[in-house]
Amino acid sequence: MRPHFERLYRLAWRLTGAREEAEDLFQELLIKAYGKLDDLIDIDEPGSWLGRVMYNLFVDERRRFARRRMHTVEEGQLAGDGLEGLPGGDDPVQDNERLEKIRRLERALAQLSDEHCIVVLLHDTEGYKLAEIQELTGLPVGTIKSRLHRARSRLRDILRADGTIS
Amino acid sequence: MPNDDINKQDEEIQALLKAYPMPAAAAGFYDQALVRATHEGSRRQRNRWMLTGFGAAIAATIAVWVVGGMLLSSPQLPDANVAMPGVSIALEEPRTVNLVFASATPLASAMLTVSLPDGIELSGFPGQREITWETSLSEGRNLLPLTLIAVGPTGGELLARLEHDDRNRTFRLRVDVINGES
Repeated sequence: MRPHFERLYRLAWRLTGAREEAEDLFQELLIKAYGKLDDLIDIDEPGSWLGRVMYNLFVDERRRFARRRMHTVEEGQLAGDGLEGLPGGDDPVQDNERLEKIRRLERALAQLSDEHCIVVLLHDTEGYKLAEIQELTGLPVGTIKSRLHRARSRLRDILRADGTIS
Repeated sequence: MPNDDINKQDEEIQALLKAYPMPAAAAGFYDQALVRATHEGSRRQRNRWMLTGFGAAIAATIAVWVVGGMLLSSPQLPDANVAMPGVSIALEEPRTVNLVFASATPLASAMLTVSLPDGIELSGFPGQREITWETSLSEGRNLLPLTLIAVGPTGGELLARLEHDDRNRTFRLRVDVINGES
């Protein structure tokens, strides 16, 4: 399972939006997988299987994993600890501008529904292909495309209104 | 708006999303998670026969019915001082309490504020006495899991205040600390 850990952790983070919830989700997945070790050996693509199990765990316990995200939005903080460890460059002015843009992106993402937010983060941030998102979520490709389109369109409206994009 | 402008804006958004950062897992997290999974997985396998017999009766959390029939849909919201439910938690041991809000109608953009008594903290929010967030309630039962940690021997009243439009209602939960005072 280890070769898949980093990708799974990233998935957990994108689904939950916060370290504590991502760690909980990752942990729940490992516990679940532990009970299926015999099956895992026979699975052709264990990475995809593990991702699907994680997504289902998230959906089953969405309220629990969504708690932090809701809190941080209300407190006017980042949705999660997304900027933690963000490497800085040589130019503090540029760094600040970049940081501010990311903050605005976070606030915009927080205004999307979970369904739209997850699809756009998986596709545009993590680089998942449509077929991979279909495999993960079980949604038809048409639905994924539609959510992606709406998410981008909504982000464009929000970020244009606050001046982040020209 | 011309297509060229939209395309340019889309490119900007794509670039922002592509660069949207997230931190790596904490050092040692994967190893610790594996160890915990091994222990917990073994324990669950041992207990599987018990779970088969007792089903949902074995629960890791306490279910607290704060209110049975939510009155938010009615014009007035009387105080929720109906027989205050309570939980007992041990010092420094996280305990999940499920608050259940039953709503007669869906409520969008409701504000929920949880106020904690001295010595009780919400897991993940150390030192915070009051936590507010916006949430939406579905028709029917809405579960709010709160993982509480007693960091001092004094318990007290946890308040959950729900606001929607100009109406609000406060729910009370008594939290006692075992081997402590309250």
